[in-house]
Amino acid sequence: MSKEVFSQISPSEFFYRNRDLAGFSNPTRSLYTSVREFVENALDACDQKKILPDIHLSIKAVDTEKPDPKHYVLTVKDNGPGIDPEHIPLAFGTVLYGSKFGLKQARGMFGLGATMAILYGQITTNKPVTVKSCSDGKTLDEFVMLLDIQKNKPVILKHTTKEGSKTGLTVSIVLEGDYSKAGSKVRDYVYQTSLITPYASITFEDPSGEKFYYPRIVKEMPRPPTVIKPHPHGIDVETIRRMITDTHYQIPAIDNKMIDKVKKELGLKKNLSPKEILEKAQKRWSDISRPVRTVISVMSFLNIDFEGLKKIRIDDIDIANKTITYWDFGESQSHAIELDQDSPYYKQLASTVQGDTLLTFLTKRFQRVGPTTAEKFCEFAKFKSDKRIGSMTNEELVKLADALQKFEEFLAPDPSCLAPLGEEPLSKGIMKFFNPEFAAVWQRNASAYSGFPFVVEMGIAYGGDIPPNGLKVYRFANRIPLLYDEGSDVVLKIVNETEWSRYKIKGDPPLVIVSHICSTRIPYKTVGKENVADRPELERELKNALQYLARKLAVHMSRQGAADMAKKRANLYSKYVPLIAQFATELAGKKKEPNYNQLIRMGSEIEEQV
Amino acid sequence: MRLKNKSSAKTAEARKKRLLSLLEQQGLNIYDSLDKGKFPQFVIPSRSVSNIVYDKKIRQYILGSASAIRSSRNMSQLRSYTQLAWLAFFVNRLVREGKSSTLRDIYYSSQAFSIDFEDQPESDNIIVDLEAVLTSPREEFHIFPEERSSVFGDLTIEYTVPGYEGKRMNLSDHPDGYLIGPSLSSAELVDTSAELVIAIEKGGLFTRFVEEKVHKKFKSIIVDTAGQAPRSTRNLLRRLNTEMGLPVVILADGDVYGEHIAMVIKSGSANAAHLRELTVPDAKWLGVWATDIEKYKLPTIPMTESDIKRIYDLQKDPRYQEGNWKKQLEVFLKLKRKAELEAFSKYGLTNITDKYLPAKLEESKSF
Repeated sequence: MSKEVFSQISPSEFFYRNRDLAGFSNPTRSLYTSVREFVENALDACDQKKILPDIHLSIKAVDTEKPDPKHYVLTVKDNGPGIDPEHIPLAFGTVLYGSKFGLKQARGMFGLGATMAILYGQITTNKPVTVKSCSDGKTLDEFVMLLDIQKNKPVILKHTTKEGSKTGLTVSIVLEGDYSKAGSKVRDYVYQTSLITPYASITFEDPSGEKFYYPRIVKEMPRPPTVIKPHPHGIDVETIRRMITDTHYQIPAIDNKMIDKVKKELGLKKNLSPKEILEKAQKRWSDISRPVRTVISVMSFLNIDFEGLKKIRIDDIDIANKTITYWDFGESQSHAIELDQDSPYYKQLASTVQGDTLLTFLTKRFQRVGPTTAEKFCEFAKFKSDKRIGSMTNEELVKLADALQKFEEFLAPDPSCLAPLGEEPLSKGIMKFFNPEFAAVWQRNASAYSGFPFVVEMGIAYGGDIPPNGLKVYRFANRIPLLYDEGSDVVLKIVNETEWSRYKIKGDPPLVIVSHICSTRIPYKTVGKENVADRPELERELKNALQYLARKLAVHMSRQGAADMAKKRANLYSKYVPLIAQFATELAGKKKEPNYNQLIRMGSEIEEQV
Repeated sequence: MRLKNKSSAKTAEARKKRLLSLLEQQGLNIYDSLDKGKFPQFVIPSRSVSNIVYDKKIRQYILGSASAIRSSRNMSQLRSYTQLAWLAFFVNRLVREGKSSTLRDIYYSSQAFSIDFEDQPESDNIIVDLEAVLTSPREEFHIFPEERSSVFGDLTIEYTVPGYEGKRMNLSDHPDGYLIGPSLSSAELVDTSAELVIAIEKGGLFTRFVEEKVHKKFKSIIVDTAGQAPRSTRNLLRRLNTEMGLPVVILADGDVYGEHIAMVIKSGSANAAHLRELTVPDAKWLGVWATDIEKYKLPTIPMTESDIKRIYDLQKDPRYQEGNWKKQLEVFLKLKRKAELEAFSKYGLTNITDKYLPAKLEESKSF
């Protein structure tokens, strides 16, 4: 590894410098993005714990008299599980801290957005974020914090605790925004979010004090997604590198829990010196678990006790150069020490860092890969199946990633990590929102593109309360409404390519289409994440869904057409038969008109016999 | 003086009686159907292209035996059925009361009876339907087109229109000619000193002919067809031919359209295949022939593409399969040039009446 020294920037600083990428380019967009991030976090938290969400969103101007853009207080309150008070400073005060690293369908990714919003608020107003959390139903913790951008660390200004009664989280930030411009998007966002989350109740109070309330429509939550391992086709070199790194970063994940675990396994009752701990560990070595063995090894090399362990973070274990690098929180500086190759703990550490064999790595870290497939793959990729993945060079990693993409015998991705809304809740939402004369929904079976599973569900609604202003498409991805960049979206493309006249739809129909794509990775076209790219696999699924629904609509239209026709017939015969009688009477030179009532009746009924 | 041969022609009065009885019969049919709870219907001879055939015997296009039923039972036909019933009713009034109407007037009159025609072509079409049902031309319904053509010459007529019954008139009294309108069309033809009818395509030449006293020089009645002859004009030509025994000759532009104007006067049009009494089978086309263009060294202009296309179309028509008709089309196609009647002016304003007309009349005795 290189010895050169680079100047590092913290993740916070990186995002600060690149905030445009994350949707914080101007006060209008930033206000909208912040609303999204907090609401989506709240919904995700409730989903994970199977709690029917109750979300309260409010946007209040700090000084109502000022013209936009100005400072707003944005508050989002949920009834989710709350957050353990000890995690709050890290969760809201550092960038890249989150619980969403597993691979499953979720609205946001990695919990980055919320921190970005906090960061944006702090940058524009220099006001702290307020987080109130109750995770046990008894105590309510309130934190007032700033973010130290350079150090990527929270600065707690105030922490109070009082009695709480219900679990939940309330986050409140002050930020510069432009509600006069963002308002319609925010309202659309709340409206559409309620449509795709019919099991949630959402209240939105806007700066003028007007309240928008969307009550819960269904009481059942959709089946939650399960966390799954990645599929080999959905992997690139960087991801593999991270997966391998993940394996040896299991070592330094040293927190109170881990220390408790070590103490428990070693049967420690009282505080012992490092030497005594090591002696105790030697005696029980074969009984203790692998992570604990690793912690012991680290302690032996650094010659520290549990208290010392809590003050550091292991940054790197470099087997090739036999060094271990760690960060000392107390001194705020980095240290590197040499590993003693003769130490009995060296081997333990080395095998941990060098990691599993390729065969084990493949079967353990990827979904639906068994030993047989793994062996076949190693042969295909020309790797020895017992090669340690930690020992792979960059070239080999590239070769491995490439082979993973090309090998065709992997099973299709596992869709259990997806959580479509389901036909019934979707249908109920559509009925409640549009009160249509006709509606149909369909959930397609799971499919996959490039190793990422996805499911398309779609609904169609016609007539009723829908205004006859032409076709309106509501696009959703992983239960998030997509409001911007409509034009280039794949769903719009499919809808526009449809020949609606074939389905008896013409003019400006009162027609609504609701499209929901669920995937572990939505193929967005741009970083803005507002429009979905036209992957052929996705396009095919969307097309099938739309055609199926359009055919159902056509059947309805024909039926409706027949009823309209009968009515029209009755009107026509009532109008024309008396006229014919009038003309015939004069033509025939008669005085009295013929009795034509029977004919009007027959005329109205005749079509049903035909 | 040549007097009319009354026995060979139906009088205006007889035609009116026949029509009124046909209308009453239709009315009774509808009335009975309604009373019995049956859907009334009209039987309309089909005017589709496949049902139009050329009858060599009577030398005109006629309708075949196919006919369509317009039934009030069929919802999509109910509206047009009612329109047709209304028209029969309205025509009955027109004829009984001796009033006249025009195609456009019919379209507007319908609105007073809650009969809504979308546009005039729709009402024009219903009029043709009624012509087909009753096998009578619309002129007998007292419905006239607004296109005008005129007649001039020594012909005495007797009006039958209300208020003028019995009044006589000679058609050489007014040098601009007389409009062939409703009154003239329904008038009885009484007598004439003429021995010939000259139908001419253009108003300008018609005036020239009157000025040059062609009616005297050639003892003729001159008719201005104003382009393709309207039905009332064709009907008058036929009556002059059949009732007064006058031969009819035709002068038209030297192009394919001129040739067809002559053909329509002689043997009718496909559009009026459902009608009789509009043709003059013995009429003769004097010119301008394609061969005349070379013979008389007329100044010409090139044909347009649509002119040429029209020649190819007419070459498929059974009436153009032989004789001079066929030959002239071929020469036109070869020349790809055309000449108007006015072309004769190159050799002097009276050249056409002094030289061409006498020559062609002489020539016509042989065909």
